[in-house]
Amino acid sequence: MQKMEKYMVLSKKKLGVLVERFLKEFQVYGPTEKNGIIAFEKISDWSELRLDVAGVPLLPPKKIFFPPEEVLFTFKIRNNNDVEIGDPLDKIKEEKRVLIGIRPCDVHGLTLLDKVFISEIVDPYYVTRRKNTIIICITCNNPTEYCFCNFTKSGPSIKEGFDLLLTDIGQFFLVEIGSEKGKDIINSNSDLFQEATENDLIKRDQKIREVEEKLSRNQLTGANELYQKLIRVFNDELWNEYGRKCVACGKCNFACPTCHCFDVYDVMELTLKEGKRVRKWDACHFLSFTRVAGGEIFRKERISRVKQRIYDKYCYPVDEFGSIFCVGCGRCIHVCTAGIDIREILKKVLGM
Amino acid sequence: MKNVYIPDIVTISEIREETPDIKTFKLIFKDKEVQRNFNYKPGQFIELSVFGYGEAPFSISSSPNQQNFFEITVKRVGDVTNALFKLNEGNAVGVRGPFGNGFPTHKFEDKNILFIGGGIGLAPLRSLINFVLSNREKYGELTLMYGARTPKDIVFKKEIETWKKHVDVHLTVDVGDETWKGTVGVVTVLFKEIEVDPKNTVAVMCGPPIMMHFVTKELLKLGFPEDQIFLSLERLMKCGIGICGHCNIGRKYVCKHGPVFTYKETKDFLETAI
Ligand SMILES: Cc1cc2nc3c(=O)[nH]c(=O)nc-3n(C[C@H](O)[C@H](O)[C@H](O)COP(=O)(O)OP(=O)(O)OC[C@H]3O[C@@H](n4cnc5c(N)ncnc54)[C@H](O)[C@@H]3O)c2cc1C
Ligand code: SF4
Ligand code: SF4
Ligand code: FES
Repeated sequence: MQKMEKYMVLSKKKLGVLVERFLKEFQVYGPTEKNGIIAFEKISDWSELRLDVAGVPLLPPKKIFFPPEEVLFTFKIRNNNDVEIGDPLDKIKEEKRVLIGIRPCDVHGLTLLDKVFISEIVDPYYVTRRKNTIIICITCNNPTEYCFCNFTKSGPSIKEGFDLLLTDIGQFFLVEIGSEKGKDIINSNSDLFQEATENDLIKRDQKIREVEEKLSRNQLTGANELYQKLIRVFNDELWNEYGRKCVACGKCNFACPTCHCFDVYDVMELTLKEGKRVRKWDACHFLSFTRVAGGEIFRKERISRVKQRIYDKYCYPVDEFGSIFCVGCGRCIHVCTAGIDIREILKKVLGM
Repeated sequence: MKNVYIPDIVTISEIREETPDIKTFKLIFKDKEVQRNFNYKPGQFIELSVFGYGEAPFSISSSPNQQNFFEITVKRVGDVTNALFKLNEGNAVGVRGPFGNGFPTHKFEDKNILFIGGGIGLAPLRSLINFVLSNREKYGELTLMYGARTPKDIVFKKEIETWKKHVDVHLTVDVGDETWKGTVGVVTVLFKEIEVDPKNTVAVMCGPPIMMHFVTKELLKLGFPEDQIFLSLERLMKCGIGICGHCNIGRKYVCKHGPVFTYKETKDFLETAI
């Protein structure tokens, strides 16, 4: 018998009311569709939300916490002997946001990014946005042929990492509470929610089984052996093919919910007295990624960069953070210019 | 909570020309409190901002015994370093840090130390050598092998002379000139001039990857255990704090886990370190 007080139901119509209420108080982000492109965007009306699209938006929700380009600080050079610095955090701190309609794989992606950005050293921009954003996850209801979260164990359902979790059970969403923040939402909007019944839970489990069934067409198995096998094949010939195929466009980096590398540079105003320091997403697939002054490039061969990305998903982070850094979202497969399928690489590594 | 990306402002209090393209900058934090709390170990580095040009990592070249200032020694090679070379005493730059692990000096106690530097790689070793000399009795025999491109490119010339009292110093240049009476050739030629006991000696080196590669080979041939060879490594750095992903060599981040590693450790990186 599961503890029922954790579960509520919300009719689909009332979700609209809830979102409209959010819009009065928060910036609301969620999957939207424009010209056939699904993307996480800020919405101004609940009807813009698309909660049942196939797969995930091409750009992951990391952009809401770690924007493609962001100002780290501004500076004013008073004279050469004095510099005044402006911290953009003060403004970020005031934001209140809700992210609704994020799928379990992407919530996993965020909890992985947390390990990078919030460790002994804390990235203030990221952590501030994480703290001021309410996460309303939706159990995956529509995986695509790219998805392999059953291999990475990051979907289609989820146990933690959300404030509220919605599961589409027909007329209603089953609502699970994942945090105090989630509970507060229910309490302050109690007119919209009803207590769930045992039957609603059965419907949820059925729904999850259906999605798992769809995902089972992905045959990849053996995640536990991946780490050891990768260590063994570092110098194997299997990489040659991918070194040849990859065009080093970096799309897989930008589309990946756990890729977090960035470049840092200064931009000066025309006055040459003011400027800003900016960080911008970078890609380990780029030749310039390891180029130091004097011209030496540590990963000159494309093959070394292909390997870097794969090992930095399935090997290195196991040592550093205790888990792989792939959530099986399939975005890198979807976007790859060269048609490289990371699952095929994994199969070769696993000897399947 | 302090914003880890925002540098503290320092004043350049002195600039010394070491070679035609290397200068040492003496730096003092504007905020006295920050200066007081700025404690570092030999082998650690800072991220230096020249506002409008960017940020780059430099080893601290002064010894931690200095409390009222610290120094970096910089070779002019690109955007940030060229901009830095245009600044004057009294000008302001930014500093974040110190970062990195530094040399594990406690592991060097009671041992002989063989310092091996190439070019600007003597910068972190200067910090270490001066630190060791100020606690001279804790260590065994000290030997320095240093190689520069030409006699003009030798850094810390005057200071090296003062080290000679306590350190067995061996210098070499790739290309000599009419004034040069010493050894000519890459650093490894100096192995012929020195005598070390690999059993009780640690080797500590910093220089270009290719130099460290060949020096390490020689050290292994001489019988140095892999975990007694200490390398200060260099990779592209942007954040200095383990987030931007630029500095990793296989499974290790040079900024966070390094820059100092034993040769033994580098063998587990998967990617080749040197
Ligand atoms: C741990 C460490 C300690 C160092 N200590 C010293 C020192 O004591 N003295 C010294 O002269 N040099 C040192 N370097 C090298 C120094 O960081 C580079 O020479 C410097 O970054 C070049 O910057 P630039 O803007 O002039 O060159 P550009 O070629 O214009 O480089 C642009 C940017 O790329 C990055 N970058 C380029 N080359 C390097 C590099 N070799 N290492 C790391 N980042 C790089 C920097 O962010 C730099 O601002 C050290 C490097 C590391 C990693
Ligand atoms: S590696 Fe590919 S499948 Fe895995 S999380 Fe990144 S984009 Fe998704
Ligand atoms: S998307 Fe494909 S072609 Fe582009 S860098 Fe990634 S693996 Fe290479
Ligand atoms: S310099 Fe950014 S991770 Fe090391």
